[in-house]
Amino acid sequence: MSAPMIEATEIRMVFGEVKALDGVSLHVPEGEVLALLGHNGAGKTTLINILATLLPPTSGTARVAGFDVVSQAREVRRHIGITGQFVAVDRELSGTDNLVLIARLLGAGRREAKARAEELLEVFELTHTAGRPARTYSGGMRRRLDLASSLVGHPDVIFLDEPTTGLDPTGRLGLWEIVERLVKDGTAVLLTTQYLDEADRLADSVTVLSGGKIVAAGTASELKAGVGQHTVHVTLTDQAHTAAAVASLERAGLLPVADEESDKVSVAVEASTDLARVVRALDDAGATAAEIAFTQPTLDDVYLSLAAGRVS
Amino acid sequence: MTTVPVWRGSSAFTQFTVLTGRALRTVVSSWQVTVLGLLQPVFMLLVISEVFGSMANPAYFPQGVRYIDYLMPGILITTGIGPAVSAGVGLIKDLENGVMARFRSLPIGMYWVLFGRGVADLARAAVQILVMLLGAVALLGFSPPGGVRGMAFALLIALFVTWSLAWTFIALGAFTRSAEVMQAVGFLAVFPLTFASSAFVPLDVLPGWLQAVATVNPLSHAVNASRHLTLSTAGGAEVPVALLASLVLAVLAQFVAMAGIRRKPLTA
Ligand SMILES: Nc1ncnc2c1ncn2[C@@H]1O[C@H](COP(=O)(O)OP(=O)(O)OP(=O)(O)O)[C@@H](O)[C@H]1O
Ligand SMILES: [Mg+2]
Repeated sequence: MSAPMIEATEIRMVFGEVKALDGVSLHVPEGEVLALLGHNGAGKTTLINILATLLPPTSGTARVAGFDVVSQAREVRRHIGITGQFVAVDRELSGTDNLVLIARLLGAGRREAKARAEELLEVFELTHTAGRPARTYSGGMRRRLDLASSLVGHPDVIFLDEPTTGLDPTGRLGLWEIVERLVKDGTAVLLTTQYLDEADRLADSVTVLSGGKIVAAGTASELKAGVGQHTVHVTLTDQAHTAAAVASLERAGLLPVADEESDKVSVAVEASTDLARVVRALDDAGATAAEIAFTQPTLDDVYLSLAAGRVS
Repeated sequence: MTTVPVWRGSSAFTQFTVLTGRALRTVVSSWQVTVLGLLQPVFMLLVISEVFGSMANPAYFPQGVRYIDYLMPGILITTGIGPAVSAGVGLIKDLENGVMARFRSLPIGMYWVLFGRGVADLARAAVQILVMLLGAVALLGFSPPGGVRGMAFALLIALFVTWSLAWTFIALGAFTRSAEVMQAVGFLAVFPLTFASSAFVPLDVLPGWLQAVATVNPLSHAVNASRHLTLSTAGGAEVPVALLASLVLAVLAQFVAMAGIRRKPLTA
């Protein structure tokens, strides 16, 4: 394994009463992607802000590209690119001018800056609107310009905070491909997401944050092993049958998760053929389903199986 | 693997030129603000000269000077207040749009971001003051004894004042980070700054307490200096006082502005 490009140790961040981060440690080597998964308020954005030198932590240390994010912030800034959760582009400037501005500030000459801007506009499919002020862009177009802005300086480390929110399916896929190319060239990427499939597709390792603490860390497949390849969501006709259904599913060797108070049971399964086993187990318990859905596992399923102690 | 150029930062000079150019561009793209900004001083000039001009006791004013001529040097100075406020407003827009956070993530000095803001609105003020001046000469027959030279120096004094006020509002924006608070403070400050000064009437006619306020008001000194330069009235000593006051304010406000930027993190 190569030297870590991002190394956070026991990061704590307190805002008044709120412990946004409570002892978070992680590391990302060169050419790898770490996905931070977590619900709203888990502390993802706070961690990104700290690692990108925008927010000094209450305690703990972090090194990015070999430099301390607090005492050597200027050095760190020479090596990073960040796309925040909210778009940060100069709305009065055109797409080209936004990118040229950043390139020039990073030290590119006038001509180099223009060339780099054109290159990125093409990659992000913004060439046709390159000359228009960014305020006339659609939300997704602005998001893509924002993403391009963070890549101008060929940074060694890239932070992407929920980069695919607001992108259409093509844009999402496009971004995934761009990230994969960057990683192949040795860039280290830390991205946050709410989507398990995104983490699965891109990340070498996944860290799940909850309430400012790391509740699970591992490779995407390790995480998925506990969650299953697919999830069957069952809505029972009668809530009284929940406990019996769970017991029956467990007897059938399945991994059901349910809240006693609800009429919903989810079951992690490996293949669609397991669907029959689920139905049979429900039948045995005398429970009838109002609805059965067969889906990809979501972040919720990860949390549920974490709560059930199946992933660690 | 392709070889890529390594850009790791630019010189202070590049940061200054690039960031100032960027701020100037936003001024150009919002040229309507510049044009509309001209309305207020023109309105003041016309209304005040009409309203007060008819009541003005000639005994209070310098011999042989029309009220409108008396007013012009004052209006030149106060015209810069509008652009100064818009420097603060521009900073807050950058904060709200996340542009300041993006700049913070780059290896640049935040001072140059603020400096560019100031220069851009100084340019806006220069355009407005120049238009005012040319308009007054062409349309109102403003032809003071100080001549072109006097007017040019008065313009310079006005720009000095604008520069210091722009930094003041940038500092205010950096500290409050709120458009509403900025606007409210701006409005509250502008009223006494303009009216409790020698801009519209000689200080002697004001009641005692207002006279005291107007005397310490730095704008009064700038107005007196501007009047001295254009109308050749007494008060040559006001020129260095006005310059020094502006300089001190500009330097202080820069420190406060940078402290305001450092005080609260610029997060994405
Ligand atoms: N500047 C701040 N002042 C006070 N509390 C804050 C501040 N920033 C974040 N917090 C709190 O810290 C916690 C973590 O917030 P953070 O923005 O890091 O969450 P997140 O995981 O990015 O959530 P989301 O998915 O909604 O973006 C939240 O409880 C939030 O209210
Ligand atoms: Mg967030």
